[in-house]
Amino acid sequence: MSLLTLVGVEVGKIRRSKILLILAAAAVILWIPSILNAELNFGMQAEGISPENNFFIQGFMGMAWFMFPASMVVGTVLLSQTERANKGILKMLALPVSTARLCIAKFVVLLSLAATQILMMTGMYYISAVISSGTQDYSFVLPPLFVLREISLIFLSAIPMIAFFWMLSVCIQTPVFSIGIGLASIVPSVLLINTKVWFAYPMSYPLFVITSEYGKLAANLDTAQVELIPWIPVATLIAILCLGISCLRFGQAERR
Amino acid sequence: MSVSLEWKKVKRTGFLPAFFGGGTLAAIVPIINMAVRPERYLNQQGSPVQILLDANWQMMAMLNVLLIVAGTCLLYHTEYADNAMQKLKSLPVRESSVFLGKAVLTILMSFFVLVIEAVAVAFCTFHWFGIEKGFFSELCRCFGYSLLLMLPCVILSLLISEACKNMWVSLGIGVVCVFTATMLPTTNFVLSLFPFAMPFQVFAGADVAKSMHYIYGAIAELAVCSLAQLLFVKVRRGFE
Repeated sequence: MSLLTLVGVEVGKIRRSKILLILAAAAVILWIPSILNAELNFGMQAEGISPENNFFIQGFMGMAWFMFPASMVVGTVLLSQTERANKGILKMLALPVSTARLCIAKFVVLLSLAATQILMMTGMYYISAVISSGTQDYSFVLPPLFVLREISLIFLSAIPMIAFFWMLSVCIQTPVFSIGIGLASIVPSVLLINTKVWFAYPMSYPLFVITSEYGKLAANLDTAQVELIPWIPVATLIAILCLGISCLRFGQAERR
Repeated sequence: MSVSLEWKKVKRTGFLPAFFGGGTLAAIVPIINMAVRPERYLNQQGSPVQILLDANWQMMAMLNVLLIVAGTCLLYHTEYADNAMQKLKSLPVRESSVFLGKAVLTILMSFFVLVIEAVAVAFCTFHWFGIEKGFFSELCRCFGYSLLLMLPCVILSLLISEACKNMWVSLGIGVVCVFTATMLPTTNFVLSLFPFAMPFQVFAGADVAKSMHYIYGAIAELAVCSLAQLLFVKVRRGFE
C-alpha cells in the first residue's frame, strides 16, 4: 500500500473520534478573553506594538504555550488508543504493510491534526478580529499573507515537538507515563525560552518562535531572536531521531 | 474495601510511580528556583512560605492539576479499555461506590504529592531562610488549604473520565479545562471558582476572609459534583 492510501485509512479510523470538536472548543475558548479584553490592546505604548498586531500575537502566544502542545499529546493518545481497544493494532500488523510506513502514516495524520488546529485558530482569529473591530471601532484584521507566514512558522517549528510526543506514545506502552511525560514537559518550556539552550528543547520551539516574532513587532521590546545555525540542524536531528526510533519501535510490544 | 480494591487495580498501571514522579518534579521547582537566583527572593518582605509559594506555586499547581487530569483519565480508562466496566455493572456493587473508591484513592495520592512538595518548601526555607517559630503550622495551613481546593478538581475530572468512554475525549476535555483555568483572570472571584482554577490559589498572604470564601466555594462545588455524579449514573443506567 502506498503511504497516501495508508494515511487515508488512518484518517478514516479517527473520523468518529470527536477530536475535531475538542480542538474547536479549545480554539473558541482561546479567543473569548481576547474579544472581551480588546480595549487592553490600545494600552501597549510601552512595548511599541500596534493594537492589531498585539491582538494577533497575544492570542497565538496563548495557543503556542500550552493548548497546542497539549492537544498534540491528546492526539497521540487518540492515535495509539483507538487501535489498542479490541486489539485492532494486531490485525493491522498482520497485514502485509511495512510497520515503518504505518508509523509514518500515523505521524502524518498527527501533523494534519496540528495543521487543522492551527487553521481553526486562524479562522477563530479572523472571526474574533472582526467582532472586536466592530466593538472597538478600530480595524483589528491583519492581511492574510502576514498571518499565513506566522502560522506556517508555528507549524514548521512544532514538527520536532510532535515527533517527540509521537516517539513517547510509541515507545512507552503505559499510557499514564506517555501522557504524563508529555504534559509535564510542556510546563518548563516557558522557563527554557529565556535560556541559551532553548534550541535543545523541542517543546519550547513554537513558543520561542512566536515570542521572537512578538519582539520583532514590538519596537521597544527586546526578545531573543531565532538563530538559525544551532537551531535548524539540532531541530532536524531531533525530529529524524525521534521518528527513526518510533519507526523502529512501532509494533514491537505487540509482537512479543 | 473498595479503596483497597482500587489500589490493587492500579498496581501495574504506573499510577503510583506517576504521582510520585509528578510530585517530585513539582517539588524540584522551588529548589531549582532558589538555587539559581536566591538573591531575588531573599530580600523580599513576608514569611518564607509566602515568598516561596508566590514565586513557584503557579508552576507547581499546573503540574499538580495536569497530574490529576492524567491520573483520573487512567483510573477509568483501565475499566473501559477491555470492557471491565460492563462486568463491573453486573456485579452487586454500586457504580457510585466504585467512583468513591477511585476518588478516595486519587485524594490520597494528591495528599502524598502535596506532602512531597511541602517537604521541598520546608527544605528551601531551612536551607536559605532559616526556620522560625510558627513555620510548621503555617506550612500545614497552606498545604491543607491547597488540598481542600484541589478536591473539586479531582472529583470533576473523575466525573469527566467516568462520563467519557474514550480516554482521549476525557483527556482532551481535561486539557481544555486546564487551559481555560490558565486563561481566567485571577482577580475575578466568581470566575476563579472554576474547579480547575482553584488549585492555583495560594493561602499564604491572602486575607483570611477571602480564603474562607474559597473554602466555602470548594465545599459547595464538592457537594454539587457529588450530586451530579449520583444523578449521572442513574440517568446513564436508564439509557443503556
